[in-house]
Amino acid sequence: MSSLFNMDKWSRLFADPEIIKGFFEGMKLTIIVSVCGLMLALVLGIIFGVMSVSKSKVLRGIARVYVEFFQNTPLVLQTFFYYYSLPAIRRTLFHMSVKEARLPANVYGIMGVGIYHGAYISEVIRAGIEAVPKGQLEAAYSQGFTTIQAMRYIILPQTLKMIFPPLTNQALNLVKNSSVLALIGGFDLMYKSNSYVCATSNICGYFLCAMMYFIICFPLARLTKYLEVRAQRNPVVKTAKKAEVV
Amino acid sequence: MKKKILSVMLVACMAAVSLAGCASGSKEAETTKAETTAAETTAAETTASVAETTAAVAGAYDLSTEDIQNIIKRGKLEVGCKADVLKFGYQDTATGKYEGLEIDISYAIAGAIFGCTMEEAKAKDLCNFTAVTAATRGELLDNGTIDIVAATFTIKPDRLELWNFSTPYFTDHVGFLVKKDAGYKSAADLDGCIIGVASGSSTQKAIESYLAENNIAAKVTFQEFDTYPLISAALSTGNVDCFSVDRSILAAYNDDTTEILPDEFGPQDYGIATKKGNDGLTALVDQVVNEMISDGTMDSLLKSWGIE
Repeated sequence: MSSLFNMDKWSRLFADPEIIKGFFEGMKLTIIVSVCGLMLALVLGIIFGVMSVSKSKVLRGIARVYVEFFQNTPLVLQTFFYYYSLPAIRRTLFHMSVKEARLPANVYGIMGVGIYHGAYISEVIRAGIEAVPKGQLEAAYSQGFTTIQAMRYIILPQTLKMIFPPLTNQALNLVKNSSVLALIGGFDLMYKSNSYVCATSNICGYFLCAMMYFIICFPLARLTKYLEVRAQRNPVVKTAKKAEVV
Repeated sequence: MKKKILSVMLVACMAAVSLAGCASGSKEAETTKAETTAAETTAAETTASVAETTAAVAGAYDLSTEDIQNIIKRGKLEVGCKADVLKFGYQDTATGKYEGLEIDISYAIAGAIFGCTMEEAKAKDLCNFTAVTAATRGELLDNGTIDIVAATFTIKPDRLELWNFSTPYFTDHVGFLVKKDAGYKSAADLDGCIIGVASGSSTQKAIESYLAENNIAAKVTFQEFDTYPLISAALSTGNVDCFSVDRSILAAYNDDTTEILPDEFGPQDYGIATKKGNDGLTALVDQVVNEMISDGTMDSLLKSWGIE
């Protein structure tokens, strides 16, 4: 703890612009991986979330297996699995050389957090759809809406408002979980700070890393809070009224 | 709401500042107190008695300094060691016991402090081992959790500014471990390769200067991993082309599918590190290591652990 208050260690950290540049490069990569990972997670979440509420037993089964498997195994293990197995799979399938079959580390990171959080997001979306009373859909049908129209104009607008807070919460966790990249040499923020601390034994590097994660995550956390408050203030009924007007 | 956040932050800042003040203040007070009382009264007595016993076992050691007295009072030497490096510092997962060259050296140092031989120190369990990594070793030494670091710690000029090191007890060289079927014959073939190295190791710098000094045009990139097993796994799955660390460590990861390239470079002198300011302990550690080298103990230890 003492070295956190050691000004000499702090000045050593900030003395070399190359080091600070390295931290910012790491932060940039963390943001890129988080954004791409979130895209992947949303796509998977929407697909499997809608599958979870479909009438087909097979589709529901597939979605269930996906969600349960990825929610109940550690993210680190999943990422290791991609990292160690994908090159071998590509070598055998596409007859690539060792160097060709290799993927950049951020691909594993995007896959890791994307597929992992996709499972959580699909549950968020399933819960959101199920929370809209069944009568809404039946009412839409009675007014001559098709299923897609009913989803588009009646169900989803109500769902979205409800799922935004847990969704931003997932995005927040996704940013932090992207630090799994450090374990597979991914050059992200965690990797860069670990590399610095290991090379210099200057633990202030971790503190700077924490501050940089905080800068990314704090606005997201505030957004979650704001959306929660707003969702409470505007109950579902109001949206339903709007839908009626449409 | 805003006011609340502001006030919380203010409190946090104040706490941090006052903590900092406390930390440095109490430390000073402690040292001065210890200097005046402990050094004068208890130290004189204990040294007299302990020094007698040590003199019989090995050379005479100066145990009067405060840093050594603290260890004697505590009854155990706190050692930072490796847990995953065969022959140097390795934790037997079945028994939880540490073993290796550096563990033996630590017991020899503990023996010198507590006035007994290395074997007696081992039997009496006078060392408490803490597994360290590149990320933790310096901090644990600086904050006093451990007294010495005996963990394949290479002596480097920039590290000498931060810690004290003993005379080197072993000199290793950096090497390359590659897959046999990749067909690399020397460093010159490594063009375009990814080399897996341990976080915080001096390997990367050693390779860079080796390539530059020998005009080898191979362009390589580096990827850091936290542990040696992770690098080994990355090599076997084809995520890196080459695993580079000190050769004696590499030997433990060499199997039927891999080979160590003939390149041998970047001498790595391993020393026992102690905290700056612990001058008594530093001198004692250095004395023990030197004695072990001159009386042949080190050679026989190296031989018994199979380190070349």
